[in-house]
Parts: sequence; structure tokens; C-alpha cells
Amino acid sequence: MRILNSFIRKKKKNHLEEQYRIYKYQIGTNFERENPQMEVSSLPISASLRAKLISAGYSSLSSLLSASCSDLARDLKISENEAIGILRVASQRKGSERSNGTSSIVNGAQTAWDMLNEEESLGRITTSCSELDDILGGGISCKEVTEIGGVPGIGKTQLGIQLAVNVQIPMDYGGLQGKAIYIDTEGSFMVERALQIAEACLEDMQEYHGFLKKDLQACQLNRKPEDFLENIFYFRVCSYTEQIAVVNYLDKFISEHKDVKVVIIDSITFHFRQDFDDMALRTRLLGGMALKLMKLAKKYTLAVVLLNQVTTKYIEGSYQLTLALGDSWSHACTNRVILYWNGNERYAYIDKSPSIRSASAQYSVTGRGIRSSVSNCKRVKMMSRVRIMEADTNACIKLDCLYHTPWDAAFPRTRMNV
Amino acid sequence: MKPEDLLQHLSPNPVQKCTLGCPILDRFLGGGIPCNSITELVAESGCGKTQISLQLLLSAQLPTSLGGLSASSLYLFSESPFPLRRLHQLSSSFPTLHNPMDNILTHPLHSAHHLFDVLSQIDSLLLSRPTSFPPIKLIVIDSIAALFRFEFENNARDLKQRSGLFFKISSKLKEQARRFGLAVVVINQVVDVIDDSDSLRIGSSTCLYTSQRKVSAALGLSWANCVNTRLFLSRNEERVADEDCFTATRTRRFIRVVFAPHLPDSSCEFVITREKVFGLER
Repeated sequence: MRILNSFIRKKKKNHLEEQYRIYKYQIGTNFERENPQMEVSSLPISASLRAKLISAGYSSLSSLLSASCSDLARDLKISENEAIGILRVASQRKGSERSNGTSSIVNGAQTAWDMLNEEESLGRITTSCSELDDILGGGISCKEVTEIGGVPGIGKTQLGIQLAVNVQIPMDYGGLQGKAIYIDTEGSFMVERALQIAEACLEDMQEYHGFLKKDLQACQLNRKPEDFLENIFYFRVCSYTEQIAVVNYLDKFISEHKDVKVVIIDSITFHFRQDFDDMALRTRLLGGMALKLMKLAKKYTLAVVLLNQVTTKYIEGSYQLTLALGDSWSHACTNRVILYWNGNERYAYIDKSPSIRSASAQYSVTGRGIRSSVSNCKRVKMMSRVRIMEADTNACIKLDCLYHTPWDAAFPRTRMNV
Repeated sequence: MKPEDLLQHLSPNPVQKCTLGCPILDRFLGGGIPCNSITELVAESGCGKTQISLQLLLSAQLPTSLGGLSASSLYLFSESPFPLRRLHQLSSSFPTLHNPMDNILTHPLHSAHHLFDVLSQIDSLLLSRPTSFPPIKLIVIDSIAALFRFEFENNARDLKQRSGLFFKISSKLKEQARRFGLAVVVINQVVDVIDDSDSLRIGSSTCLYTSQRKVSAALGLSWANCVNTRLFLSRNEERVADEDCFTATRTRRFIRVVFAPHLPDSSCEFVITREKVFGLER
């Protein structure tokens, strides 16, 4: 189905104009029929696009009709593709009843087109680092299991806490307005850090609010950083049996708390690295857990984020760095992101994903949480683009060489410190 | 035990911390050594790891109003005889404490397996509230590296066993830290880094320097995954010229955050005197 999606994506580009006509038609017909007061502010599009729409004067869906897709692209200073995207989201929102009707011809089946629409309208959780969001296709995606791994101190827990906060960003600000489940196996979740990150997130929202001027006056920000803690369901587990018990319990828990939009396990690994006499048992337990988490992600349309540690693996006479839990585990997650050091900079690398291409992006851990790298002026940004391209080429050229990723290039060979 | 019991309400108050007995060091650490987690002190010998941990044994007894835990502590040691005289010396700068030596329990360790056995046995000690001394809220293990460095060979099988034991010990410590609200401090040694390209970067800086040597924490990557916070102590001899143009050497000591879930990368200078260990204002 993924292959189908990407095929459709390609096809889509060839028929921009044709599609545009369809969307325009859908907006037109559905708009009259349904809620005419529907505002663009409720569209499930990224916050920046929404802000651009509103500041360009497109406050209602009807105003979208009066512009062609190239007008829209010009007014908003965005690409035609993005303009098409906005129109599609708008028409999909309006036509949700209609599309349900057509897809139920075969009971339970969905056309690939509907799936594509659904996937693209699904919310994503921003990481607060735009470069990282870019390579992730807009953020951590719902309905999928994303594994994030890296050495101690690279920022796994920081990213985990950041996501637990960011999932709560209200819809009006382009967020999911959801709640988070944080399963802490290592004891690294620090309330004081969560408060710092929540405070910075609130400040950013206020800034955004100011940017939108009076348009969003209705939704006053009267939240306090402490309120963010209320929406994080924190489980502290001290053994692997507890971990499995909690994962099994999640289905019941989430069915009672439908607004949970992210489940973070920090880390999935810790309790499974004590000497397991029966490695087959370990593989089975981990596999079962991964399956349950994947089902949860699909059933409740939520993002599952599993943090993993790295370990050294003995390959061909030398120790090399790899994510923990072994080969069978590496198939368990939909997406795999590796965090690594490159010189003094932190980088994230998409190691595996069915829908997004391998790429790396720089991020930094600041007092305010995960952010874009400090070197944010355009020239440096371009330089880093070049570096990323180089990294990509490296990865492409050396695909035949088993472990050659930019990540490995950073640490070619690792010696055990005894 | 039901899974729903593992759900905890997050209180907006920061986690309880144990003061180091110095306001500057406390500020550097955001209040002190956090409870409910493992803090590691990494340093070469003679940097002051034992000094800081001895001072902790005393400051943990301070009342909570003064940043302490008003608690006893347990000192598990593997190296050398227990530095009793030095502890006694340091206790003189805690005049408010009444018979501080009575509230410090010590136990020698012979091997890594022995450490695990001891940890399994102290549950009852941590749980019961004997009237003779306040509850234990601080465990210091001095040093974890010594236990592991000689017991295991450098081959794949032993290393695998060794890292399994790391996670077992760490898991037990974290469980106890969580159940009883303990601050756990483990002391680790360093190994020299010979080939730079060989070394794996863990934490805030590419390499750690002490006494003009390039070092990294002992016990490798697996163990680094087992601790929540890693602090690195370093010392450097500096030549200073006095008025008569005689050069003398002066030792400067620094404590730095390598990684911590709640602290930024930063460092702080500290001094060890006869009476106590304290930080210097920048």
C-alpha cells in the first residue's frame, strides 16, 4: 500500500491542474451544502501555512474558491504543491461524509486515494526543530511506531519530554491538542525539565498568537506550564514484567482516555538488557510488545515513540555501533531515527522508513528544549544543506557496504573500554 | 500489583535533592544530587570523588530545610580501607549534626556479584525504620569500576556477561531509588584514550581531559546507559608565577556535567581543603 501511495504521489504531480479542478469543485459543492461558517483556522494543516492563509486574507473556505492554485501559491509565497495540498485538505474536510459513502462499497476497504488523503490529513507532532520536522515529513506521525536511538547524552529523553509537551499544543496553534502517556523505565524523566520545556512552548505559542494578531482573540492563552503536567500520564516501571503489563493495559487505558495522542517509552531497552538466559523468550516478548504498540497506534490514531539505546556489535573483527535489542527487533518499528554526534553538532538520521527518504538534519538541545541549531543564518543553513547532501551521497554510494551510513562515518570503529 | 498502580501523578515540585554542603555546588547541580535516580561521579584518582561522596554522607543528614534529606546513608566500598579519619575531619564543618558518624553505615564489597547480593539483601533494611537511626536515603558505591575491572576478561563472552550484570545492578538500584526515594551515587574511574579516532563520544564533550591526559569513563558504553546523570571531575596542574618569579604549581579542580536529564552542559571549579569541599564562584 505504501508503494501504491508513492506511486500515486508521482502520478499526482503530473496532474496538478486536473486535481485542482476536482478540489475546487468539491469545495464548491460541499461548501454550500454543509456548514458555511467553516473557518480555515480549523483545517488540519501546519501552523505556519494556516498563519500564512489568515494573514493573506483567506479567513473562510469560500475565499479559497475565489483564487486559483497559482494565485494561492503566490499570495502565500508557497509552492504550487503546497497550495494543492491546502485545497485538498479543505475539500477532504468538507467531503468527509461523501468519501465515507464511496469507500464503504466494499465493506471495510479503503481506496488508496482515500488512504493517501487520510494519511496526509493525519496530525503530526512537531519536534520544535524545523529541520528535524522537515526530514520527518512534518513531525512524528500518528498511526506509526517510531524508534529513536542514540548514545547516552545525545538527547533521547529530551526529545521524549519535548514530544510529551508538544502533543498538547492546541488545534488553533497547529497542534493535536492531545495528551501523552510517558512510560519511564530508566527514571530519567525530570519534572523540572518538563516544566522548562512547557514554559518555552507556551512562550512560542504566545509569540505565534501575537503574529496572528486579533484573528484568534477568542482562544486566549491562560495555560500555565503546570497544566502541561496534568496531561502527561506518567508510568514508572521498574522491571520488564511491569513494562509488559503496562503495555498490555494501555488498550484499556486509552479507550478511557481517547485524547491520548502519543505514547512514549523511555526506553524500550533498559529492562531487556539484563542477562536474559533465554534469548528466544526475549525476542518473543519484544515482538509481542511491538505488535501491541503497532495495533494501538492504528486503532487510536496515535503516535508511538520508542527510545532505544545503542550498543557495540562484533562484526568482522571490530566493534561497531548499532541500536540495541538485535536484528529481529530492527524490523519491529515502522520508522527508525538515529541520533548521533557529528563533531560538536547533534544530528538525526532517518535510518529506516517506508514513506520518507533517508536524510539527516541538525538539531540542538537548548535550555528551552529541542530547537533548530543555533547557526540559523542562511549561509550556514546552506552549508549544512550541502553537508546533508554529501551525507546522502555517501549513503547512496556505499549502500553495498552493510553499515555505511553517515552515522557510522562519525564513529567508524569503536573500541571497548575495559 | 496492577499496571494502573504504576501511573503516577506528576507533581509540579521538582524532585527532592540532597545538598552537597556548598551553595555554589548545589546551584551548579540544580539543588544537589537528585533522589529517585543514579548519579555517577567519574574521575581519575586524586580528583576528589571520595571527598565529595564523604561530604555527601554528612550533608544527607542535614534537615530538609537546609537542603539535606535528614537521613542516614549507606556507604559501600571496594577500594582501600574506609577513609574514617578523613570523614571525621570533614564532620567538623557540620557542627549542627549530632554524632554524624552514627548515621553512616558502611559495608565492604568484594566483587560485582557480591554487590548485587548486598543490594538484594538491603531491601528489608531500607524498608524497616529502626529507631536507632533515621531512614537511609543515600547510597554511595565507591567504586563500581574496581569491582568490574578485574573480574572479567576482555573477550566477547565475558563482556556480554559483564554488561548483563551492569543492567541487573543498575535496574536493582533504580528500583530501590524509586521505591524508597533514594539518592544513589556511584563512583567510576577513567581509562586513557590512546587513539582519538577510536573513541566514542558520550555526552557533552568530545574528550575529557584531566592532568593533561585524554580520558574517558571506565566500563564503556553499556554502563553509560545505566546511569541517569554523569558528572566528571578533573584536575589540572597550573604553573603560577609568584612575586619573586618562582614558579609554583597550583591544582585546579573542575566538576562538569557530561550528561544529565535536567542539567545543561556546564562546569564549575571546586576546591578541597582540610575542612570541606566547596565550589568557586565563576
